[in-house]
Amino acid sequence: MDKSVLAERRVALLHAGAQVSRNITSILDLDVLLRQTVDLICEAFDFYYAGVFLVDETGEWAVLRAGRGEAGAAMVAEGHKLRVGGLSMIGAATGRNKALIALDVGDEPVHFKNQYLPLTRSEMALPLAAGVGAEARVIGALTVQSEEEAAFSEDDITALQAMADQLAVAIQNARLYSENARLLEQATRRARLLMAAADVGKGVTSILDLDELLHKMVDIICGAYGFYYAGVFLLDATGTWAMLRAGRGEAGAAMVAEGHKLQVGGFSMIGAAIAERRARIALDVGEEAVFFKNPHLPMTRSEMALPLVVGAGPQAHVIGAVTVQSEQEAAFSDEDVSSLQAMADQLAVALHNAHLLRELETAHAELVRTKTFEAVAAATTEAIHWIGNKALPITVSVQRLHEDLADLSGVDAEVVESMREDLTLIEASAQLIVQVKEHLIGPAREYMPAPAMIEDVVKDTAQVMGIAPEVIHFTVAPDLPLGVADTTQLSRAFRYVLQNALEATEALDVPRIDVEVDLVDESGMRYVVTRIADNGPGATETDLNKIWVSFYTTRGAKHAGLGLPACLQILKQIDGKAVARKRPEGGMVFELYVPAHTGVTANGAANLPAGTRVLLVDDDDVWSRFVERTLTEAQNTVTRVVDAGDVDGGDAFDVIIVDDVLAAADSLTVLQQISRAGAAAKTLVVASSVRVERMMDLLRFGVRDVLPKPYTAAALAEKLGI
Amino acid sequence: MKEEVKVLLVDDEKLVLRSIEKSLLRAGFDVEPAGDVTMGLALFQETMASAAPFDIAVLDLNMPNFEGYEDPTAGLQLLRKLLEIQPGFPVIVLTAFDEVERAKDAVRSGARAYFVKGREADLIALVERIVKN
Repeated sequence: MDKSVLAERRVALLHAGAQVSRNITSILDLDVLLRQTVDLICEAFDFYYAGVFLVDETGEWAVLRAGRGEAGAAMVAEGHKLRVGGLSMIGAATGRNKALIALDVGDEPVHFKNQYLPLTRSEMALPLAAGVGAEARVIGALTVQSEEEAAFSEDDITALQAMADQLAVAIQNARLYSENARLLEQATRRARLLMAAADVGKGVTSILDLDELLHKMVDIICGAYGFYYAGVFLLDATGTWAMLRAGRGEAGAAMVAEGHKLQVGGFSMIGAAIAERRARIALDVGEEAVFFKNPHLPMTRSEMALPLVVGAGPQAHVIGAVTVQSEQEAAFSDEDVSSLQAMADQLAVALHNAHLLRELETAHAELVRTKTFEAVAAATTEAIHWIGNKALPITVSVQRLHEDLADLSGVDAEVVESMREDLTLIEASAQLIVQVKEHLIGPAREYMPAPAMIEDVVKDTAQVMGIAPEVIHFTVAPDLPLGVADTTQLSRAFRYVLQNALEATEALDVPRIDVEVDLVDESGMRYVVTRIADNGPGATETDLNKIWVSFYTTRGAKHAGLGLPACLQILKQIDGKAVARKRPEGGMVFELYVPAHTGVTANGAANLPAGTRVLLVDDDDVWSRFVERTLTEAQNTVTRVVDAGDVDGGDAFDVIIVDDVLAAADSLTVLQQISRAGAAAKTLVVASSVRVERMMDLLRFGVRDVLPKPYTAAALAEKLGI
Repeated sequence: MKEEVKVLLVDDEKLVLRSIEKSLLRAGFDVEPAGDVTMGLALFQETMASAAPFDIAVLDLNMPNFEGYEDPTAGLQLLRKLLEIQPGFPVIVLTAFDEVERAKDAVRSGARAYFVKGREADLIALVERIVKN
């Protein structure tokens, strides 16, 4: 090479070296810098190929990061790499930190023949080393190739090694800058997450309003992590649906407004996270089987669903889930998942506490309401009782005045008549007050619900009321279960309705009352219902609407309007109900619902002793058949008679049971006969409805006891004591 | 038998006490009214030692007890004290409550009868019947 050519080349090399230096200081993007460097080398030195390899993280491979022309682009695209310390020149240069030059590649044993560069005749591999001396570390290598043999001069080698050294420093600096930026970003992100966690912690302790807390939570998550959507779902009362309670931005507001919900265990990440009680993370939602495509959030590429779990171990339960979504794939780091789960756990505790607080408040409110109601009811009852008692002497005083008036002589007859009329008015008013007291206080007395034959109670009530058999007609469904009621109170309820029917039909030529006892099933609740229908004039719509209202009456001033409200109160007391309606054919139907007995009604008589001789004074009815069957099954002997004429001296019996309500006889007459025979002490009187005065009348005969009728074998054994 | 039946009547309700007293007086009974259990017991103790003891007592059930507190069993407490002094003495317990178990309690405590207030004519018949027996 002549001197002028050599001088020109040196100038070009100096220019190229200066340009590489300028690029290194001005180009921040490493890939751009490497691409421009290889281009510059080829153009300045007139080589047909140059490339830069960088050693990967494992230190095992030198990976091509930039290459000249189409060949270079193709090799970068396919991830061309050569083993460090391998047979290639790049492998040897990076393995030994030493420049290798092959002026004829055919003679170079470590040359790796490259299909993309078949024309290479000379090749130079220069190590890219960071640091000096013992600290020196190979980070890659520069390859320069020529189509000519012996293409590299000493000047070329010196200039290219200088460039390679500059490039190595630049690459190392770029890497340090990138690492620093990453660490800075990581530190900033950690600071943001800590602040977010602190904000959540502050929120769960300071925000009392649940909706406000949930909205704050989603805003904090999105703000701190840079996610584009977050939402909080809470389980509904059935536990089958997760209801969106708060969502970020307009999409969240729209979904909350339309009642967005996802089925637990269904085809959604939230549904799966709740059902499985574990976080579900989809770094590419297209690949997640349970991803639920949401039209409000079309940009979602990554999604995380975190369960809101309360408690630990076997007591742990899920109350909802948090969803976090990003527009980027693989958006969640392990740190994100753990910090978000920690926030979700905090939120779950806060929600649970809020729930407990609400429950406590509700219970407290219910307690206050109940206590207030009880206090009002007690005060009202006391007041009514007081008023009623004060009215009692009025009736007696009026009676005495009536007697005195009869003895008055020499007084104008008209004046006496007027006084008598006034006394009658006073007496009627006093009786009404006493009647009101009885209606209002009666249902609250000695309330003792027990399994009972509703058919027996309603028939006894009708009989005690003296309703003629030609007026009242009974239809009873077979195999009815027992109802659960206090029979004395229930009898009172039947009495009110039957009295209503009697009064409704009293003006008719052929009055008729139909009583049907049946079993109905309403929403899983079984009731023994008693329908009492009359053929009276019925009620107007206005009357029907007010029929259960206290003090409402269509029957004139002598009626307090409290009978039917008292009836309703009695049934409500046993979780039953009362319904009134007009019959299409005319008249009224009252339906009295008594809850069916759901417990086991033992028909056997395990608690009954055997060998007792029992005389049963009763009609052939459902109760007497039950007693006969139960006692007989327990190896007792039962003799049933229907009236006083059949009762002998009683010596042949250990126990005598008398039903207070008899069709063919008066039980007082029966007891008189038993008493005369000296058998009163072994006599028990039973009644479906027991009233004090009647009981006193019965006890006068010296009977052992007067009892409410037992309707189960256990009650029979307990109450009869046999 | 004495010509006039002597009745101890105890009730804290003044109007009721006077009304029942008047009804019994009209029916020919000799009535000693007392407005509380302490006075009733004192009257009973004093009279039973005299030449004209009581033949029967009619006691309200619900009134202040011997300590002065309202008590639904005050009448029964007085009843037991009367029976301690004179076992078998006839007593009618008077109440405004139409309750079977209360009535049984009264009878078990030794009362001859339990009477619901408001039907004085029946009360007079009841007193006559018990005294006669």
